[in-house]
Amino acid sequence: MNPLLIAIIAAPAVLFLLLGALWLAGFTLPERIVARLTTSVYALLTVAVSILGWRLARTPGHSIHASLGDWFTVGDYGFPIELLADTVSFPLIAATVILVGLVGSFSVRYLHRDPGFLRFFLLLNLFAFGALLVFASASMDLLVAGWEFVGITSVLLISFFQYRPEPVRNALRVFATYRLADLFILLAVFLAHHWAGSAAWTDLFGTGAVSGAKTEVLAILLVFAASGKSAQGPFSGWLPRAMEGPTPSSAVFYGAISVHAGAYLLLRAEPLVQGSHVARGLLFAIGGGTALVSTMVHRTCADAKTSLAYASQTQLGIIFCEIAAGWSTLALLHICSHAMVRSMQFLRAPSMLYDHHRIHSASGGTLQPTGEHLESLLPKFIQIYLYRVALGRGFYDAIVDRWILAPARSLAGSLRIFEPDWIRIAPQNIESKSPAEPTHTAESSHA
Amino acid sequence: MSAQSENPHPTPCLPTASGAACQHDSARPIDHLQHALKHAAHYLPAQGPIGVFVHHNTLHAFQHLPFDQAVAQAAQLFGTEPFLSEEAYQTQRARGRILESDIDAILGREPDAQILPGRLTRRGLRRALLVPGVRQVNGRNIAWQIEEGGLLESFRSDLPPTAARALASDLPENLWNICCERLAPSVPPSPPRAPRRPRAALLSLPEPLDLDSVVHPPLIRLTGAFLDQGVAYWPMPLRELGLLGAVRKIMAQSGSISREFLDTVPAELRRQEKEGLDAGATALQMLERLGVPEDDWESFLTAELLALPGWAGMVHCLEIDPALAPHEKVHASLLDFLALRLTYTVAALEKILGNARSWRTLQQSIPASDPLVHRARLFDSAQLLGLDSHTLLGLSDPEFNTLCTELESFNSFERRRVLHLAYELRHERQILIPFSKHLTSPVPKSERLSAQVIFCIDEREESIRRALEEVDPSVETFGAAGFFGCAMDYAGIDDPRGVSLCPVVVKPAHAVREKARSEDTHLHGKRQALRRAWATLVRHGNISSRTLVRGSISTALLGFLSLFPMAIRLLSPLSYGRLARKLNAFFLPEPRTELQFMRDDDSAREATAGLMAGFSIDEMADRVASVLGPIGLRTGHARLVAVLGHGSTSLNNPHESAYNCGACGGRTGAPNARLFAVMANRPDVRNALRSRGILIPDDVWFLGGYHDTCNDEVQIFDLDLLPSSHRSDFDHLEKVLDTARALSAHERSRRFEAAAPSIPPEKALRHVQERAEHISEARPEYGHSTNAAAFVGRRSKTRGLFLDRRSFLISYDPTLDPEDRALAAVLGAVVPVCGGINLEYYFSTVDNEGYGCGTKLPHNISGLLGVMNGYQGDLRTGLPLQTVEIHEPVRILFIVESKPERVLRVIHANALLKEFLENQWIRLASLDPDTQDIRVYRGAGVWESLSGSEEPLPVAESSRSYYSGKIDHLPVARIVPDLSNVA
Repeated sequence: MNPLLIAIIAAPAVLFLLLGALWLAGFTLPERIVARLTTSVYALLTVAVSILGWRLARTPGHSIHASLGDWFTVGDYGFPIELLADTVSFPLIAATVILVGLVGSFSVRYLHRDPGFLRFFLLLNLFAFGALLVFASASMDLLVAGWEFVGITSVLLISFFQYRPEPVRNALRVFATYRLADLFILLAVFLAHHWAGSAAWTDLFGTGAVSGAKTEVLAILLVFAASGKSAQGPFSGWLPRAMEGPTPSSAVFYGAISVHAGAYLLLRAEPLVQGSHVARGLLFAIGGGTALVSTMVHRTCADAKTSLAYASQTQLGIIFCEIAAGWSTLALLHICSHAMVRSMQFLRAPSMLYDHHRIHSASGGTLQPTGEHLESLLPKFIQIYLYRVALGRGFYDAIVDRWILAPARSLAGSLRIFEPDWIRIAPQNIESKSPAEPTHTAESSHA
Repeated sequence: MSAQSENPHPTPCLPTASGAACQHDSARPIDHLQHALKHAAHYLPAQGPIGVFVHHNTLHAFQHLPFDQAVAQAAQLFGTEPFLSEEAYQTQRARGRILESDIDAILGREPDAQILPGRLTRRGLRRALLVPGVRQVNGRNIAWQIEEGGLLESFRSDLPPTAARALASDLPENLWNICCERLAPSVPPSPPRAPRRPRAALLSLPEPLDLDSVVHPPLIRLTGAFLDQGVAYWPMPLRELGLLGAVRKIMAQSGSISREFLDTVPAELRRQEKEGLDAGATALQMLERLGVPEDDWESFLTAELLALPGWAGMVHCLEIDPALAPHEKVHASLLDFLALRLTYTVAALEKILGNARSWRTLQQSIPASDPLVHRARLFDSAQLLGLDSHTLLGLSDPEFNTLCTELESFNSFERRRVLHLAYELRHERQILIPFSKHLTSPVPKSERLSAQVIFCIDEREESIRRALEEVDPSVETFGAAGFFGCAMDYAGIDDPRGVSLCPVVVKPAHAVREKARSEDTHLHGKRQALRRAWATLVRHGNISSRTLVRGSISTALLGFLSLFPMAIRLLSPLSYGRLARKLNAFFLPEPRTELQFMRDDDSAREATAGLMAGFSIDEMADRVASVLGPIGLRTGHARLVAVLGHGSTSLNNPHESAYNCGACGGRTGAPNARLFAVMANRPDVRNALRSRGILIPDDVWFLGGYHDTCNDEVQIFDLDLLPSSHRSDFDHLEKVLDTARALSAHERSRRFEAAAPSIPPEKALRHVQERAEHISEARPEYGHSTNAAAFVGRRSKTRGLFLDRRSFLISYDPTLDPEDRALAAVLGAVVPVCGGINLEYYFSTVDNEGYGCGTKLPHNISGLLGVMNGYQGDLRTGLPLQTVEIHEPVRILFIVESKPERVLRVIHANALLKEFLENQWIRLASLDPDTQDIRVYRGAGVWESLSGSEEPLPVAESSRSYYSGKIDHLPVARIVPDLSNVA
C-alpha cells in the first residue's frame, strides 16, 4: 500500500472531476484559475514522482505496489484496482508527469482566449490520468480502462475545432482505427480471464497458467493491440490525420505519451512476448516494415507536422524491433528519450521558418543538399518509383479506402433497404414532414 | 506596414457582369484560355510566401468598384461575409458605440419614399428595423418556436413605445394568423439550375460524393512537394520539368495503387506524355471532355481555382515573381496547376459517372425558400412597425405588396451596410470632434529643443512618441515612411545575400553592404567560421533525429538532452534568452561594422544583379531631402536628430514578418535608419542639401537606431562616431528614450490580459520582453490591430493628443509646400500603404475564416511558404484570429492638413488614390492649416463642415493616468502634463 503512488495517479483525475463539476454547476472558470491549478498540481506531482523515484532507486529490483481492493466482484471474478511502479513503469510515469506538466504550461499561453480553453485542459487532465493508469496498472483490466481514456481524449482533441469538417472527419477515422485495434486487447483480457482466471500481470507470467499456444495467442493479440496505439503495421497511417488538433496536443499525444503506450504494453507483457516466437516474428515484421515505409514517407513530407508524425512512426517501428529482439532496457530508454525530443520538436513546429532562416544564414547561404546519397546509389527509375510510393504514403490510405471501407460502405448501403420497413413497424411512428436529408456518411471515407 | 499599391492587372470581367466589355476576339482557343485564366487568377489571394508578409487590400481584385458593391460581389464569389454580423453591430449599439442619431444621419443621406402614404416612410421603416433590430429567423425551428418557445404568447418586449401602444389591444396570435393569411406561399420554387462545378453536381446525387475530397489530397500533396522550399529531406525529383512534367513522370509509374476513383490517372498522364501535350493543350482537352462551352471558361476556371485558393494563389504569385521563393527557385505555372487539376477531375468524373460531360446535365435542386420564414419575418417587422392585425388586414393588395417588397429590399446585407456606416460615422465623430476641440488650444512647443526623433509613420509608434514628448517636452518627434527614402538592396554581415529594404512596389537599384571594420576583420572571420560550424551541427542534429538509422541512435541516446533547454525555455523564457545572449556574446562576439554605401564611379554596376553599388553624393542628398523636406525639417534642427527604424522579433510565430516594417518590404528598417544618419552626417551631403533648401548646421548630429515594437528595445548604432561634444546631449536622450519605451510598453500591456493591470512600467517592459521570448505566445504583439486613422500634417496639431496607438502619424508641413509637390509624394506613398494595412485588417476581422487564416492553434507550416490547417489543407492567407481579435473594422480615416480643394486636386491627379477615395476604400477629412476648419469628404466633390460637439475631450495629466486599468479602446483625450499651465 503506497498512498504516494495512488495520489500521483489520482491527482489528474481529481483535477478533471473538480474542473468538470464546477463547469457543469454553471461556474465560468477564469483561465487564470484553471492555469494555476493545473500548473501547481503538476509541479507537486513532479516532486512526488521524484520522491517515488528516489525510493525505487534506493533498493534495486524493488517495486512499489498499491492496492485499493476490488472495484466490484461478481462471483469469483473481481476487478482489482492495483497499481505497480517498477523499473518498467516508473520511467513512463515520470515522463508523463513531466511532459504533461510542460505541455500544460505551454498551453496556458498558447490557448489563451480560445473558446475551448477549459475543454482542452479537461481533456489534457483526463488524458494524463488515462496514461498514468496504463503505465501503473498491475493488471490488464485496469490498463484497458486507462487505454480507453487515452483513446477517447486523443480523438476529442483531434476534433478540437469541431466547427470545421476536416478535423471531425479525421478524428472519426482515428477513432475507428483505435476501436478496431482495441478489440484485440479486449479479446486478450477475456482470454486471460478464461485461461488464468485473472488478468493481473503477475498471474500471467511464469505461473504456468498461461503457456504454449495460449502464450502465443495472447502475445499475438497484444502485438496487434499495441500496433493500433503506436500507429504500426496494419494500423499505421492515422498519425498524420491526428495533426488537426492544437499544436500542444499533437506534441503530448503523438510526439510523446500516447503513441508510446503501445510499445509500453509490449514491454509490460515482455514475458509473454518473449515466450512467443510468432509474436516476435510478427513484431519484427510490423516494426521493421513500418519503419522502412515511414522513413521513406518522412523524407518526402513538405510540411512540418506530417514530417514529424512520420519521423515518430519510424522510431516507433524501431522500438518494436528492439522489443522483438529482447532488448527491453534499450527499448525503454528509447521510448522515454524519443518522447522528450519529439514532443519538444512538435512544440517548436511553428518556429520552422525562423529556425530554417537562422541556419540558412549562419551557413553562409548554402545548405548542403539532403537526400543525395539515395540519388547517387539508386538508378533513376527506382528513385522515381520510390518517390511515388512515398508520396502515396505507402498506398496505405488507398488500400484501406478501396478494399476495406468501400466494401463496408456498399454492404451498409445494401442493408439500408431494410430501414424503411423498420421505420414502418416502429411503435412510435411519426409522420415525417419532410424527406430526410441525404446522409453524408459516404464523404467521410474520402478524406 | 506596407501595401501593394499598384494595380497592374486589367480590370477583370466579373462573372456576374456581362462579359461584353471583355470579349476578346481570340482566334485560337489557347489564347482565349490564357485570357480566361488571367482573369480567373485575378481573384486569387495575392499573398506570397509567408516569410515576407506584405499587407494589401484583400479585395484588390474589386478595387475598381465602390466599396459596398465590391464587398457584396466578393461575398457572392467567395462565399464570405461583407460586414460584421448584425448581432455584432447591435451589441455595439447597445453599448453606445453606435448612436441612434448615427443611424438617422446615415438613413438621411439616402433617398426617402412613401411606403404606406401618410403612415410609413422608407426611413421610418428602415429605422424601425434597425432599432431595436430584427430578430434572426431560422426556418427550421419556427414550428418549435411557436409550440415550445412562446413565440405567440406575447409581443416582443423591446418594442419602441409607439409600436407597443399600437399593438396594445392586439393579440400575437391574431397578428400571426393575418401574416400567414396575407402572405400566401407566393414564392414559387426556383427551378433547378445547371451546376457551376462538377462537385456541386456530384453533391446533388442520391448518394452524394464530395469530388474535392477525391481530387484535393493528391493535388495538395503534389503541389506542396513541388513548391517546397526545403522542408522535405528528399526534394521532389524532376522539378525542372515543371509541375505537370514532374507529375507525369512520377504519378504515371506502374506498380502503384491509386486512390479510389483515380485509377485512370496514370494511364491518362502517360497518354498526355506520349502525345506531347503541353499544359495549355492538356487544359483545352480537359475542358472539351468536361463539356464546358467557351463562353463559360472564365467563370468555370474561376470557380475551380477558388476551390483551393491558397495553393492556386501561391503558384500564381511564384509564377509572376519567381524571386519571391525564399530558397528554391521553382518554375511555377498556374496553367500547369490547372491542367493537373482538370486531369484529376476528369479522371474521377469518368470513373464515377462514366463520362466527364454528363455532370452538366445533372440538375442541382435549389432548396425552396421556406414560406414560414417569410411569415415570421413579416410577423417580426409588423411588430417593430406597430402594425396590428387590423391594420395589416386593412391594407390594400398594392399597399401590402409595396410593404413586402420594401421589407425584402432592406435585407440583412442592407441592414448591416447601414449599421456599418453608422458605426464608422460614430468613429469619425469620436476622432474629429475632440480633435477640433484640441486644436483651439494647442500644446505650446518648447522653446529649446533637446533632440528630434524621426519615427516610422506606423500607428504602433504613436505611444512611444507621445511618451517621449511627455517625459521631455523639449523633444520633438516626426513620422516618415520607415525606409527613410533609402530604397536599397541590403546584406548585413550575417546575411548570405541581399534583400530589398523598401516598399514592395519599388525595385531597389542600389546595393549597400555591411562590412566588418578593418580592425575587426579577424573577429568577423572567426565568427563566420563558428556560425558555419554551429549551423552544420544544428542542421545535422535536426535531420538525424528524424531519419531511420541516425535517428534511432540520436533519439535513443541524446533525446533526454532536449528536455532541459525546453523546460527552462517554457518555465522561464527571459532567463533562457539571457543565457542564450551570454553564450552568443562569449562564443560569437560581434565585430564592429560599417556600411559600404559610397559610389565614386557612376557606371560601377554589378553586372549580375543589375544593382549599383551604393550612392553618389547627389543621390544621397536626394534621399535625405526626400525625408527632411516633406516633414518640414529644413531648418531648426536640434543638436541631435535620431532616426529610428522599426521591426519586431518573436518566436514560434510563422506570421512574424507581418509585424515588421512593411515600408521595408516586411523586414526591419534598422539598416535604413542607420544609413540615413550616416549619409546626413556627411559634410559633402549637407553641402549638396543646401541647394535643395535644407540647411543643416555643423553642430547637428544624426543618429540611426532601431525600435523593436514587440519587446520595446531601442538600439542606437555607430555611437563610437558620435562627437564628444554631443556626448552629454546623447546621455540625456538615452535616458529619455529609456523612460519612454518603458511607458510605451506599459501602455501596450493594458491590452494584454496576461499582464496584471497594476504593474509598474519597468515590469511592463519585462512583460513585453517575455512575450517576445516566449515560445508559446500566440500574440507576441497585436500588430496593426485597432488601426483606424491616419493624420497627415504637422505634429504640433496632434501633440498632446492621446490617440490610443490607433492613428498613423505622417509628418507633413503644408506651410512649406506651396505647389503641393510634397503632399502628392506623401499621399501617393501613404494612402496605398495605410489603406492596404487597414483593409487587410478589415477583411480578416469581418470574416476571419473566409478572408483571414483562422485561429493559429492548428496551423502547420508547409514548404516554408505558408500555413495550412491539419495535414493536407489549403494554404491559409490573411491574418490569424489572434492578431485581429481586438480590431475594430472601420475604413481608415485620413485627416490631411491642407485646403480641401488642394487635397482633392492632389488625390484626383493620381489614378490609384482617386480609386481609393472615390470608391470609398478610405475615408477623408481635411484640416485647414490657416482656419483650423475641419471638413469631411462625402464623395463626388462634396465636403461637409464638421459641426456638433457631442463628443467630449477628456483631459488628463498623463497618458498613464488616463488609460490605467482600462482594457478597451479609449476615446481621444488631451494630455496636459501640468494642469496649471492650461490656458
